[in-house]
Parts: sequence; C-alpha cells; structure tokens
Amino acid sequence: MTRRLRIEHTTRVSYAQAAVSSHNEVRMTPLTLPGQTTLDSRVTIRPAASTWSYWDYWGTQVTAFELMDPHADLTITASSLVETAPPGELPPAPGWPEIAGRVAGSRLLEFAAPTVRTTVPPKLVKKARKAAAGLDPHATAVTVSGLVADRVAYLPGTTGVNTSAAEAWEQGAGVCQDIAHVSIALLRGLGLPARYVSGYLHPEREAELHRPVAGQSHAWIEYWAGDWYGYDPTNRTRADESHVVVGRGRDYDDVTPHKGIYRGVAGGPPEVTVEFTRVG
Amino acid sequence: MADIFDAYALADAWDEMFERPGEVRTAYEPVLAALQPIEPGELRFRADQMARSFTDRGVTYAFAGEERPWPLDLVPRILDALEWDFIQRGVGQRVRALEAYLADAYGPCRAFEDGVVPWRLLLTSPHFHRAAHGVEPPNGVRIHVAGIDLVRDEAGDFRVLEDNVRVPSGVSYVIENRRAMTRVFPSLFDGQHVVPVDGYPARLLAALRAAAPERTADPRVVVLTPGPSNAAYFEHALLARLMGVQLVEGHDLVCRNNRVWMRTTRGEVPVHVVYRRLDDDFLDPLHFRPDSVIGCPGILSAATAGNVTLANAVGNGVADDKLLYTYVPDLIRYYLGEEPILPNVESYRPDEPGQLEAVLDQIDQLVVKPVDGAGGQGIVIGPKADAKTLEKTRRAVAADPRGFIAQRPVALSTSPTLAGERMAPRHIDLRPFAVNDGNEVWVLPGGLTRVALQEGNLIVNSSQGGGSKDTWVLAEGPVEGPSRSAEDGTLPSVVPRQLGPDGTPTLVPEGAQQQ
Repeated sequence: MTRRLRIEHTTRVSYAQAAVSSHNEVRMTPLTLPGQTTLDSRVTIRPAASTWSYWDYWGTQVTAFELMDPHADLTITASSLVETAPPGELPPAPGWPEIAGRVAGSRLLEFAAPTVRTTVPPKLVKKARKAAAGLDPHATAVTVSGLVADRVAYLPGTTGVNTSAAEAWEQGAGVCQDIAHVSIALLRGLGLPARYVSGYLHPEREAELHRPVAGQSHAWIEYWAGDWYGYDPTNRTRADESHVVVGRGRDYDDVTPHKGIYRGVAGGPPEVTVEFTRVG
Repeated sequence: MADIFDAYALADAWDEMFERPGEVRTAYEPVLAALQPIEPGELRFRADQMARSFTDRGVTYAFAGEERPWPLDLVPRILDALEWDFIQRGVGQRVRALEAYLADAYGPCRAFEDGVVPWRLLLTSPHFHRAAHGVEPPNGVRIHVAGIDLVRDEAGDFRVLEDNVRVPSGVSYVIENRRAMTRVFPSLFDGQHVVPVDGYPARLLAALRAAAPERTADPRVVVLTPGPSNAAYFEHALLARLMGVQLVEGHDLVCRNNRVWMRTTRGEVPVHVVYRRLDDDFLDPLHFRPDSVIGCPGILSAATAGNVTLANAVGNGVADDKLLYTYVPDLIRYYLGEEPILPNVESYRPDEPGQLEAVLDQIDQLVVKPVDGAGGQGIVIGPKADAKTLEKTRRAVAADPRGFIAQRPVALSTSPTLAGERMAPRHIDLRPFAVNDGNEVWVLPGGLTRVALQEGNLIVNSSQGGGSKDTWVLAEGPVEGPSRSAEDGTLPSVVPRQLGPDGTPTLVPEGAQQQ
C-alpha cells in the first residue's frame, strides 16, 4: 500500500563572525522513481537568496545559491511531499559471471571500482568472501551488510563527516554513512556493483497519521543484480516504503546534502533536524 | 680554415641540418653559410647578449632553485613548406579528434558503447570531472589551445609523443625567441622567407571571443593566473598584454547571480570568457580542492549555466592522459573517418592482457612513462637505466599497470647546437600550438623546439635542464606577413558554425573592437 510522507529537513548554521561570499549546493530534493513519486518539493534559504537548480551527473536535483552579503546565520529548509510504495518481490539474480561481464563493458564499472572513502584492506574483503561463499548476489548483499552491521555499532558521535570505510571498520563504531561505506566497499570487493544512497527514513514503521515525528537524514546502499536493489545495512532490511531516495553516487561525496564554501571563520557543526509527518 | 662545424659528428639519429657529414639539407643552406664564417668568440658574445636581453625582459625559468635566463640556442630549427603543411594538417586532425572525444565523453559516450575505447579509461580516470557534466561549450570548443608534442624518429618521420589539451604552456617562448633572434642575429634572416609568429595573440583572442556565451554582443575576455609565483606567470602576463585584456587572479573575480564579474576600481564588470591558466583542481573550491585560495568559488556553476566560458574546458584531462594517447589513432578513424596523418610512437598498454608480461620482459629496452607524469617526471629510459632503477620500475608497473605506458625508445632527431666553442648535435622535439575557434583549427607556424643541452640526453623539458631554438617555417615565396593584421588592430574574422533558431546562420560581431 502506498503512503504519503511530508518531510521537512532544516539545516541551521551559526557563524562566530559574519560570513560573506557564501556559495552553496543543496541535494535534498527526493527523486521520482518507480515506487516513489515526489508530489511537491521546495528549498528555501534564509537570509533570502535567489536559487537555481540543475540535475547533476548522478541524476540528483541540485539547488544552488549564494549569499554575498555578511550574514550571522544560515537556514536551509527543504520540504517535500512524497508518495512511496513497498518494493516488489526480488526476481532471481543473474549469475556472477554475467555480472562481471556487464561491469567490464558498461557504466556499472563506476560503481565497482573503489573510491578513496570506500577502500578497505584486502584481508577485510577476504573475510567477506568467506562469509558469502556460494551465495547469490541478493543473499551476498544481505550477508555482507550483516557482517558490517555486526562489527560497526551504530553510535552517533564516534565518527565525522570525513571518516572513511577503513577507519569506521577499525574502530567498530559509526553512523549509517559509515556502515553504508563499509558495505559498499566490501560488495565492490566481491565484484558486486554497489552505490551509496542519500535520503530519508521514517523512524516509525506504523506511523500515526498527521503526527509529526523527529527523524534524521539517512544513508543506505543499492547493489546491482540485473537491476538496482536497495538494502539498508544499518537497519538490516530491504529499502521499503519508509525510505525516500534523494540521490545516488559512488559514496557520500557525490551526494552531499549541503556543500558550501564561504569567507569568514570556521563555525561549529550545523544543527540539523528532520521532521516526518505521515499524511496518507 | 677550421670552423665551428668542423668537429660536428652525426649521432645515431636523424640530423636536421646534415643529410650526411658535410652535406647540408637544402632548407639549411643559407643558415649554414651565414654561421660558418663566424668566429666562435663572436657566437659566444651573441649568446651572452641574448641571455642578458632575456634576463632584462624577465624571460627566465627556475632550474634547481635558481632563476636563469631562458636558454635559446643561436641555431634555428627549420621546417620547409612541405614539412610544415604535413605537420599542420596532422596536428589539426589530432585536435579535431580529441574535441570529438571530449564531446562524446561528457555526452553520449558512443565510443565506449561501441567498444572503441574501454569504459575504464573514462570512469576510473582522476581527470573525469563529473562536475563538468552538463557544461555545454557555446561554440562546441573545449580545446581552445592545444600543444601537441612531436618528435622526429631515425627515419625522419614526425611522430606524436603526447597531447596537451589542459593548460599547455610555452607559446610565450615562441614569441620571445623570434623577437630575440631578429634583434641579436638579424643577418641570419637575410633573404629567408620565415613565416612570422606574432599573429598568435590576435588568433587566440579571436578564438576566445568566438567562444563567448551566446547573445554576448561584446564579450570581455580575461586571463586567469595562479599568480606571480607560478612558473609560467611571465607567459600569462605577456599573453594578456598582447591580447589587450586584463590579467586577473582568483580574488579579482567574483561570482554573483551565477555570473562572473571582475572587481575594478569602478565597480564590478561582467566577464564572459576566462582563459584560465590554472589547473582544474584549483579552479573552484566549491567543487574541487576546498583549500584552493587561487580559484573562484562558483565559477563552475556559472559555466554550467552557460553564463561564462572557461578556456580550456574543465575535465579535458581525460583526453590527454598517456593511456588514452595510445587510442588516438583509433579515435581519428572512428570520429573523423580519416587515416591518422601523424603516427604515434609505438606503444604498449601494460594494463591489457599479455602486454604487461611483454613490457616487464623487455623493460630494459623500453621507455616507461607514468600516465599522469608531467614535465618529463618519472620517465625511465630502459636502455640508459641502471639495474636498480629497472627493478624499481618493474615493480611499480606490475603493481599498477593502469598507471604506466611503455614505448619504443625513439632516437630524437638532432640539431647543431652551440656547446662551448663549437657546434655539437643535440636532441630536439617540437611542440606546435593549435588554436581552435570553432570554425578551424589554426596551428601557429613553427612552435616551441626544445633541445636537450647535455650530450645524448633525450629529455628536453626546461625543468630538466633543456634549452630551446627559434623554429622557422619557410614559406614557398615572400611572406605576406599575417602579423600585419595584429598591427592594424583588426582581428581575423570568425563566424560560428552553429545555426540560429530559424535555421539561419547567427552572426557574431567580428572582433574589430579593441579592448
């Protein structure tokens, strides 16, 4: 059954000293895909700024803006209304040799090669290979993601925005971003194309209508087994009607929700809130 | 009577001046006749004079931490009309194919779908800037300026050694070399039909203006430099001055309303074309290195929106890495349906099945080059390397086959070069410069001839102790002086190839206005 979600994603930045010449890109607009329809979306900036938007290489909608005059704080509000549907049954996956052939001769290669953030020591890949021996691609994604979730505990505050997959594994703790990075790294190591998904997750499966609940921006993965399939390693579940896709790329850097550069002094971390309201 | 050419012994390479000992090639007859009677002492004197004039004009380069005058040898390198016609067509063809490749790589990717070039060359290249996806160059040009490095092999055939389509430098030395030679050694030019080189700035400006965003009546062009500490700052300043445009640094530009503006004492003025002489990585800290303080945040977004043209385009590095080089002959056939005019040097791709073993087996007989090396760095010449270096190289190639190509060593042609008090053969190469205005690829007659000043040395880069030679293209008859147009202040006219909305050609104002 489909459901309708209203999402309000607010990012507040306060500067120790007024910032000037601020150039920004925001990737917070949910995509329209099979199983996901964005009915309405808007990005507003305070102080007021004119915005323009474009679709980037990865197919993500980007809202760009600049604030040239001095400003003490910045608030970005991305609101959207999205209709989601549960995922269909998993069809049988193609065999490993077929996947290998497709990777070598197509753009899929992009999601099969390691990036700086998704490079892990070979012994880790070996471990994953052992765990997934004899499994088909769907089962491999579940098993390898499980391996990662077992090792990397979900502990907010233990990692930063720039933590790599190898670091997160080493310290055995991280957030969804890290757990996604390690899972992607291992799946790629096993020859299964995998990509990083940036989006939202409604925190309550059976949410009450019209009652706003606090949540977070979320990250999970998609792997390619004849088509792209979503899996959420942090929650050990397939991506479903509680998940809302904003962007997909090789890793976090390709789909950063807010990226900006300004003149001024470095401020503290931004204050981010995401509010979900099920409206249908 | 003994003269400076007496002890000239031909090396095991093609000599530019002599066909056989004592037998001069036709094109060089007048130059040899003029040089032969000159006392060695006088040649030294002229060489010193030249060095002083370069130092005075600030034409220097850094070598081993020291500023030295630009080393220009007194003996010109000469190309006759036939040779030049061949080179010019070959270079033009190469640039057209690379333009087509870039348009494809940042667009439909036909060559990859058709299996002409493997996907991994694009998708795993550090120079494939996905942030440049969607930048549509207004007149279709991404390679406004190219430097195509050529060598001449043992048989006298010109071959392409590498393509430079990012930020090729060196053209200022072509202009300065000619200027110095005509002042210090005017008699050498007597009765010779040497094609001038000073038309370059006017050609470049015309091409940059032709690349301006559509509906820009009077485009403003600027030269963007990393600043005075950059090794090529002299060139940036010279080109800006000769084109009559502003030389700016990143902090002189500001992006506002998704457009680029230049700060002036009278406020901000719009900029339409940025001839940028800094690398992609430093251009826009929002998209590339956030620690870059020499770029201009927002400039890539302005380019994506079609409000400013960056020349050369962002992401051109996918077309000139040394691995792609090995595919360029195929690209010429694929995109242009032509046979390559200028061949490559025979090359191996260690990352292909079977080729790695072949390279490792005969590494002592090959030249091994890092795919991303610039300025001759990291090149290992097998026949001249010691056992330790070879072993190190063998391991490096085995560990990262994608990171290297290997080539047959070419004995670069030699040219008589003043060494002490006499002439000696020294190895040379040639970097012709091509300017693409969207209508035609124009090649500056001649180019930069670099010379390895040490006997037997094959690496000619000035950063590795190389020198240079004035490069003459001889016209069939008296020269019409294409430079005259620059003196009048008129520019070659350029009409863009694309059509207007109703299918009629759109005309841009011809660049008669001076800035």
